[in-house]
Amino acid sequence: MIELSSRDGVRKFSNYFWLAMLCLLAFTAIAPLFFIFAYLLVRGWAGLSFAFFTEIPKPVGEVGGGMANAITGSLVLMGLSTVFGVPLGLACGMALSELKKSAIAKMLRISIDLLTSVPSIVIGLFAYALVVVPMRGYSAWAGGFALSIVMVPIVARSTEEILKLVPASIHEAGLALGLPRWKVLIRLILPGVRAGVTTGILLALARVSGETAPLLFTAFSNSFGYRGLSAPTASLPVQIYTYATSHDETWRQLAWTGALVLVFVVFCLNLVTRILTRRTV
Amino acid sequence: MTEAIQKTVQPIGVATAALETKRLSAWFGDLHVVKDISLTVEKNDVFSLIGPSGCGKSTFIRCLNRLHEETDGARVRGEVLIPGAGKRENIYAQGVDPVSIRRRVGMVFQKPNPFPGLSIFDNVAAGLKLAGVVRRNVLEEIVEISLVQAALWDEVKDKLKKPGTSLSGGQQQRLCIARALAVRPQVLLMDEPTSALDPISTARIEELVMKLRSDVTVLIVTHNMQQAARISNQTAFFLMGELVEVGPTKSIFTKPKDSRTEQYITGRFG
Amino acid sequence: MSNPVPAHQVLARRNLGDRIFFLALRAVSIGTIALFIGMLIFIGKLAWTSVEAQGFRFWVGDDWNPPMDIFGAAPFIVGTLASSLIAVLISAPISVGTALFLREIAPRKLANVVAFLVELLAAIPSVVYGLWGVFVLAPIMRDTIQPFLAKWLGPDTYFAAALGHGMTAVAYPFLLVADTLGLTEVTLVSLSANMMAVSQGLFDGPPLGLGLLTSGLVLSIMITPTVTALSREVLLTVPDTVREAALGLGATRWEMIKLALMKTARAGLVGSIILGLGRAIGETMAVTMVIGNRNEIPKSLFEPAQTMASVIANEYNEADGMHLSSLAFVGLSLFAVSLIINFLARTLIRYLNRGSRA
Repeated sequence: MIELSSRDGVRKFSNYFWLAMLCLLAFTAIAPLFFIFAYLLVRGWAGLSFAFFTEIPKPVGEVGGGMANAITGSLVLMGLSTVFGVPLGLACGMALSELKKSAIAKMLRISIDLLTSVPSIVIGLFAYALVVVPMRGYSAWAGGFALSIVMVPIVARSTEEILKLVPASIHEAGLALGLPRWKVLIRLILPGVRAGVTTGILLALARVSGETAPLLFTAFSNSFGYRGLSAPTASLPVQIYTYATSHDETWRQLAWTGALVLVFVVFCLNLVTRILTRRTV
Repeated sequence: MTEAIQKTVQPIGVATAALETKRLSAWFGDLHVVKDISLTVEKNDVFSLIGPSGCGKSTFIRCLNRLHEETDGARVRGEVLIPGAGKRENIYAQGVDPVSIRRRVGMVFQKPNPFPGLSIFDNVAAGLKLAGVVRRNVLEEIVEISLVQAALWDEVKDKLKKPGTSLSGGQQQRLCIARALAVRPQVLLMDEPTSALDPISTARIEELVMKLRSDVTVLIVTHNMQQAARISNQTAFFLMGELVEVGPTKSIFTKPKDSRTEQYITGRFG
Repeated sequence: MSNPVPAHQVLARRNLGDRIFFLALRAVSIGTIALFIGMLIFIGKLAWTSVEAQGFRFWVGDDWNPPMDIFGAAPFIVGTLASSLIAVLISAPISVGTALFLREIAPRKLANVVAFLVELLAAIPSVVYGLWGVFVLAPIMRDTIQPFLAKWLGPDTYFAAALGHGMTAVAYPFLLVADTLGLTEVTLVSLSANMMAVSQGLFDGPPLGLGLLTSGLVLSIMITPTVTALSREVLLTVPDTVREAALGLGATRWEMIKLALMKTARAGLVGSIILGLGRAIGETMAVTMVIGNRNEIPKSLFEPAQTMASVIANEYNEADGMHLSSLAFVGLSLFAVSLIINFLARTLIRYLNRGSRA
């Protein structure tokens, strides 16, 4: 038997020391959240008014104005990206789970994995080359396209994950009824995992609602409000960026309030997904 | 029935007991899985615990090195006495550090579980290093002795630097036995150590357990009755968390006192 | 049927609807793969003028001067690496520590709450981090943290001297090898002087608030949720039996964490840290807002700098011709780097998963 009691004291101490360190590290990880949140609330709240949502920005130096242009722009861009991105993402998710181990599914999986890791500014460059250059100008189309590329891998992965959870016996039960495979998938399986698929879509929306980099030289910005899908379009994140880096105090205030609104929307979307997943799992 | 147990337990001399439990109970949340078990294990016994699955025998031995309490919602009540410095001490007494108990009461698990990141040598030396043994020659010596004891030395002496997980299942289990033996425990707990192994590896481990008897007291959980009959000299039969009968293996298997024991060993349930 | 056919093909033959359905799925798959490859091609096309004109020199040139049509991307590469490395150095212990806290210390309810808060941190948009960085963190850095660091780690401190000697000691063997091969004529004295200059300059200069260190700090907050979540997943792949083996040997909880968890999962933990590095390298908005945007190789952590992502964000809208093409070249390089890093990290994590299953 090995007895080294003097060492046991050291071991006990180092045990408690390191466990305390881990607690401290965990605290350090979440502390910035409160730090950021407190500032957002305090600085953003000050500028929160009805006008913020209804008025377009005033020129530099004038007091007042709002971010109505950016809010409508963001809604348009998110709508466009949903129209492109969600069907494509869903289809990719179904392809991943249905084509299983075929070569094409493997390549698709690698593409989607890598697509997740592409820096968003690079996606902006791509949308610029593919849409802005041929259209000879910034447009909501280009911005929506860029955002949809951000959405596709998120929707695809979550759809695949959720389809993977469906037991094979349900597939088989449907097939045993004489239903073709596509009907089994669309009519039997998908309705059952609706909540899970919605979660993926909402998470993707939460993500793109805050994306700035892909919009800088695709949707660009404007200060008048919505002027059609082929025109430059403002968005909340880009506007926040522009105003935050300006030297005008009114504009900076708008940036803080815009950030508060943006974070509120993103958090709500996350909260909804959390409630949805809790109900399904 | 209680009287029968009392009779087999009481007369045994306290001086030679390697381990004794007094009214030991254990729970998972509200589930009472080990009920009021009192039994004594003599020094150098191979003591087998048999019973149908879910009877609490695994939980029982996990209480003996205070591993049960590591599970979420687990609770233990009662006493477990093992010989300490000059006198017997209760491992559940206040202020007793479970860590020091686990070094004195070693354990081998159901599935072989060598540390995946470590070599064969480092696996065996892991417990020693934790205990503060740093001198290379001491480590080498004890690792070799332990591997010889675990009947693994000849197979691995040329590849001590290979990862422990590179061995076969049976070899991995013997590696885990060597790892447990290296810290020179007073008692070795084995939780169905052969249930994940093939018959040949099982036979080797059984052989090994019988040899270990001279060095260490072994408590082995098994649901293989032949195994219990082959290797142990004392046997306890558990049913639904209760200790039904305990005694010399031979008498348990040839003339059980309790009708439930008889039903179990003749294969009528379990 | 004599030769085996995958199940879905057998079915597809049976029914017209299924045939169309699977054809459509394949078409979508090919389309998405093409989209990804198209990304490389289109950005490559944008960058081509610059690639042709400058080639590999682009990556080592340290002068970025659009009016003179001189384009060297070294300042951005250095800025990207430096800010990301700072982020990883700060975030790695915090993230892995939090993952261990969630797995080993926190009771389940607390763990759920903490994990949720960390997730929220991931949900905050980059531009909001930037806003907070500019108006809250930067003044604190300028007034408190940077003067403090300059006092204890800056020029003429024990730290700077020790670091300089340390770096010399590390570099000396390489110098010796290079010397014997006849590759360089650097002496120990000049090596030491160079290293000393670097270490003395590290925390030198006026505390501006905006700069390399601040952007590294903001990045570290931003990548912590990613690395924490990935590390947590990696730690979950370590079977409970291995933890129990360590406890059964008489390991304390911390010893068990080292012996069973960290050793077993180290490949995966390194993988998740590298994925965090990948995120930091590609991060754009927050960095653009706090790094100070100066197209020169920074000598001090307090100096403003520029990253590959931030220079594109800053200059793309006003660029044309060779300037635009060179920015696309920067983007292409960034793309390649992040692909390589992600590929590496994923391979590491996959390798770990295979190991633990065996």
